[in-house]
Amino acid sequence: MSEFEIQEIEVNHRNLIQKVAFDQCGSRMATCSNDRFVKVWDKNSDGDWTLTSSWKAHSASVWKVTWAHPEFGHVLATCSFDRTAAVWEEIVGDMPGPRQRGTRHWVGRTHLVDSRTSVTDVKFGPKAQGLLLATCSAEGIIRIYEAPDVMNLSQWTLQHEVQCKLPLSCLTWNPSLSRLHPAMIAVGSDDTNMNIGGKVFVYEYSENSRKWIKLETISNITEPVHDIEFAPNLGRSLHILAVASNKDVKILTLSPVEDDQVAQSGLTKLDIQTVGQFDDHGGTVWRVCWNVTGTLLTSTGDDGCVRMFKMHGINLWKPVAALKGDGTHVPTAAEAARSSQAAQTARYIKLGSIQPNRELRH
Amino acid sequence: MHSDSASINMSHNLHGTFVSEKINKIRWRPGGIQSLNLFVTGSIDNEKNTIKLWDFCENDEENDIYPFTISSYMYDGDVADIQFINQDYFACASSSGSVHLMNIAVQSSGDMLLNNYMEWDKIHYFNNGEASCCTALAIYENDLVSVGEDGRINVLTAQSKNVIRSIDDADSCSLGCVLFLKHNEILTSNLRGQMKIWDLRSQTNTPTKTFMLSGDQVTPTCLIFHPTQRHLVIAGDELGAITTWDLRQNTFPVNVLNAHEGSINEIHFHPDHPDQLFSCSSAGEIWHWSTKNKHQSFMGLEDSDVNVWLAPDNVKNKLEVFTLMPTLGKSINTLDLNKNKVICGCANEAIYLINGINL
Amino acid sequence: MSQDDAKIFLIPNELCRRAGLGATWKPLNQFAVFPHERRTVRQKDIPSNFASTAQSSVFLVQHSIILYHPILRKLVNESSGTFLTVQSTVSSKSSEFKGEILKLSRQYRSIIRACLENLQDEIGKNNITNSERDELRDYITIFYSIECIWHLCEILFIDVIPGNIVLPYLLDWVRFHFPKHERNAALLISGDVTSLELHEDYWPTVFGNFLQGRIKIVRTLLRQNSAFGSSVFQLVDEVLKTMPTYNVINSISINEFNLQWKHWTTDIQLKIDAKQFITNHNLNLLMRLIVGEEEAWAEIQSHCETWYEFLAGWLFYTEPSVKSFELGQFAKLSIRKMRIKDHMKHLDRVLLAAMEFDLFEVIKEIQHMTENGWFVCHLADILHHSGSLSVLEKEVENFTSENLRESFLLDYGTILMGHSSLWEVGLNYLDYCQNIGLQAVELLLPRIPFSTETKAHKLIREARNRELHSVAQSICKIQGTRSLKRGRVGNALTWALKSQDGPFTSYLADLVLKKYIENGELNSTDLLDNLGSCMLASDRLIFLGKYNEFHKLYQAGEYKECGHLLISLLASKIVPKYFWSVLLSEAIPLLESEELVFSANDTYTIQHCLEEKEAIPQLADKISILRLAAARNLSRALMFEAQLAQ
Repeated sequence: MSEFEIQEIEVNHRNLIQKVAFDQCGSRMATCSNDRFVKVWDKNSDGDWTLTSSWKAHSASVWKVTWAHPEFGHVLATCSFDRTAAVWEEIVGDMPGPRQRGTRHWVGRTHLVDSRTSVTDVKFGPKAQGLLLATCSAEGIIRIYEAPDVMNLSQWTLQHEVQCKLPLSCLTWNPSLSRLHPAMIAVGSDDTNMNIGGKVFVYEYSENSRKWIKLETISNITEPVHDIEFAPNLGRSLHILAVASNKDVKILTLSPVEDDQVAQSGLTKLDIQTVGQFDDHGGTVWRVCWNVTGTLLTSTGDDGCVRMFKMHGINLWKPVAALKGDGTHVPTAAEAARSSQAAQTARYIKLGSIQPNRELRH
Repeated sequence: MHSDSASINMSHNLHGTFVSEKINKIRWRPGGIQSLNLFVTGSIDNEKNTIKLWDFCENDEENDIYPFTISSYMYDGDVADIQFINQDYFACASSSGSVHLMNIAVQSSGDMLLNNYMEWDKIHYFNNGEASCCTALAIYENDLVSVGEDGRINVLTAQSKNVIRSIDDADSCSLGCVLFLKHNEILTSNLRGQMKIWDLRSQTNTPTKTFMLSGDQVTPTCLIFHPTQRHLVIAGDELGAITTWDLRQNTFPVNVLNAHEGSINEIHFHPDHPDQLFSCSSAGEIWHWSTKNKHQSFMGLEDSDVNVWLAPDNVKNKLEVFTLMPTLGKSINTLDLNKNKVICGCANEAIYLINGINL
Repeated sequence: MSQDDAKIFLIPNELCRRAGLGATWKPLNQFAVFPHERRTVRQKDIPSNFASTAQSSVFLVQHSIILYHPILRKLVNESSGTFLTVQSTVSSKSSEFKGEILKLSRQYRSIIRACLENLQDEIGKNNITNSERDELRDYITIFYSIECIWHLCEILFIDVIPGNIVLPYLLDWVRFHFPKHERNAALLISGDVTSLELHEDYWPTVFGNFLQGRIKIVRTLLRQNSAFGSSVFQLVDEVLKTMPTYNVINSISINEFNLQWKHWTTDIQLKIDAKQFITNHNLNLLMRLIVGEEEAWAEIQSHCETWYEFLAGWLFYTEPSVKSFELGQFAKLSIRKMRIKDHMKHLDRVLLAAMEFDLFEVIKEIQHMTENGWFVCHLADILHHSGSLSVLEKEVENFTSENLRESFLLDYGTILMGHSSLWEVGLNYLDYCQNIGLQAVELLLPRIPFSTETKAHKLIREARNRELHSVAQSICKIQGTRSLKRGRVGNALTWALKSQDGPFTSYLADLVLKKYIENGELNSTDLLDNLGSCMLASDRLIFLGKYNEFHKLYQAGEYKECGHLLISLLASKIVPKYFWSVLLSEAIPLLESEELVFSANDTYTIQHCLEEKEAIPQLADKISILRLAAARNLSRALMFEAQLAQ
């Protein structure tokens, strides 16, 4: 595994960051925090990240922020402890003077107030389905909204409400389905009761009944689940799902099964296998995140580390690296010049590393 | 024209050098004998692009010629176009919307240095303040015209920092190419293949003529005129076709030649041999077009100027096409001619010199 | 500590240490790491313990990609050309296939060597910093090892060795990588040759060349020794002169050669036993080495920098007809003798694995070479095509050589796709993954940022060339949306048409029409004048195009034509609801014009529309005027037509 280097961007949220999200090409960044603010950052032509917008998005901690597909313009969605989710669009104002950039600010296009509890996750659907937004809440309801006119982001209709029996903490759309296949969503629950069955549920939209139907409950995951994400699909017929729970990181494959029952009902039947299980964090895993090709998974957890797992085959995943914070700081340019270690340009500095030892595992 | 009908002319030699950047524009330095080997390049797609001045070093024993950099200039944005004004000055168009006038200066030590003599900063921009790419430049003596994605035409002169004239919203679509038909007349083309002729003396901001490249929305990618017959205009487009107009007559194309597989990146007539044309494409083709039976005069026609490019329909039969270099499968972004040498920049981050072409 | 345990990298930040980390992937090959603490909905929404005191930062993390260095970048480009040639050679299925592949393997190596030369030249320059110089030296070490390993793999896995007699090839390899002995010999001989043996390099050079089997050079050096006239030197020279050689050309069989060799070494042993070389320790040592005497070979170890130098020499004299598949055991032996079994460096391990024909281990080790996968990708590819990897398929379950090769191509291609300029090269590698390449391109191509239309066109062309039409359309749509945000409606419309997006096209047409209602000006007329067949993309656009035509006819004074067009528009189903009042109002001047524009039938059509649309509020103040004008026109028309009939 080769060396890592990092670039520091000071974001100055007044509280911890809950989520960082990048747009499709990685040139814009949105951060949201317990301080109720959302900030948007842009990379300029010199390669530096600058703050272009900052606004108080909610009246309580903002849990998640996510970008819509660039075909819809510059659009963000957020969800919060304040029981709402919101859709934001960037407006560029009139030019204050010749050749000066117009002021850019984000306006709230809609506030979705249907939930009676904290909205724990918000995700845009795959664009093949149109402009869809799904939220899940602590009361265990999945809500699917649609903007029937994609040019008008103020109008969203609540298309479906799906009641799960457990409070939900996370939601993921399956990105790999084209317009020909029905949409699929997986949700996870962080309910602490370990005796009430599986905590991950897979739903599919049925064209026949025009409803979202539960396909599967993943019953071997009984610990509270905090994050869940489908992997991007490299043309495989099966789906890959990563789950972060109190115990470990799990990677599962969901393979569609062909049989008569399936042909009749029109619903997909899935054969679910656990192909990777990692307790390297030694405790609760908070987040999982896939890379663009679905070949690398990062997870973060109680041990304060970011861990990376690489695919060596559909059924073979291996940990490849980990990162953790240490007490030092990124040297400023002046400090770097003084130290003989200044191997990189001021922007990127190499990360030091240590070999793993037992101590870190708990 | 299919490439199997183009033969490879083996009477020249080919030298390639990897330069670690993608060259978008390459231009020989014009002028006398001392300039013979000097050329200028502008790069694209790098985090920081450069404009470089190069010379060639010839190693006779190894039959090797390779270029080396004399001077390098860091450039803001992609280099979208380079046009020489004279031996010592050339203009560059940037994707940041600026136009720069660069100078090849000779220092007291005898070394040559590229420096930014003058710039017209961000003269292409959108109404919401975002930068617009300046897509092309045209030069007539000391005057310049620039066009951009903002649909704006800027008239500049090398003698002044100010924009002489700016035609906002000259086009509702992005402008891609421009050329001077006469000192006060320019031709522009836009994303849809709409061609407009502008009279720069006129006070109104409307074109004098408008015509289409083709019936469908095809984007012209390059525009040139014949060295001795300026009314003969040729456009290469994104589908690989070459269209010819005789603007003396009318604005309907005289002929259309389906030439390349990919989009045509550049076309040049040879300045000294105007019956020869060179073109390069995104499919990696670089071709030399020559009129067959050059020495045979056209019987019965007193006008020895009858240009084969003006012949309707049977142009194909009157031309021979040679492939100057086997295709590497990567786009040839740019080419330029100097006597019997052709130099080109390829998307594999290399520069190729083709020596000794048959003219 | 096994290589398999994940290494831990340290983020230099106090807040990260105290709070813990969160991570998000950033397209294409980076991820963002930030200080994060898990909060659940059950906790109170109060500031965390980490609020406000510490400055928080997001850290963008990426692998150090050494390949982006300008010198190594040339290697990336040049080798991609060779890669493409390998693929086309494979598909051409020529009879010369094996020979072609070998040539290409050599081409890869010469590209690496050219790169090493460039790196050396760069180090010699005086305008670089010390840390840059260190970096370059690192690169030289890495790529030197790569070339060394590649060369051995070429010999063992790609080249076709007649009879598997591998020694000549092995010697070539060692000679190539330890050229100093030949160089030193040349230096010595070209200089002052009197009493050459007094030169401190003399005997080391003799032994060095001896171990590489360069007998001619050894003899030349010995001849320069001032003691050459003595009998012991003469005897050694004679012995060396009569050394049997094996090569395929002189066509003696391997058995014959073995016999000759046995003869020759036995003879030397007799001479040694008779103490004929005893007067010169070095010469005696040379002879003892030839006969394979253990102590002699133990003594000679100090002349060998590496175990494979030792191995080559030892095999040359003791097992000259060694077969390639026997190398492994002798390699292990050499390692044991040189006592480096516990100190093996990475390069040593790879070379040993190669000699043991353990390709799996070779590939596993190569992956740790920190040059971002360049080596394993290209080597695995060429080994796969030469058939060497398929051996592994029997050994490991669920393994195919194809899948392994593709996983490396995917990794390497993805790295390149993340570079602003090298993405075009990255595409080449993904194109040659049969199973997953196209989908990878489909996932990665939309992630390439573009800020100019030229780049948009390039990306679109790459998508279209691979029939990824939805990706092409998406890029057109994005550019259209951008143009709209910039106020360039005409340009947005052009891109909407390119993306074949009907709803978007209609939306833009609506914008133009609504703006006309607002300020009386029709935008982008240059575009509307020349829509051509594109108009058919959406009904709204057809209407807009026709309406524009209507305007032009009116301005040109062609009222009759104008009228015809208006009637056909009214009768069509494509008039937008909000535009009825405008359209009908524009009928008024035509109804009232001196020249009779509308026929009786036309007027009925207008009146019919008025009846249908009378509820429209905007029409309220005009409806009476319209009714009157229509009525008047009707009477004029009827009269006119009556006259005609007469």
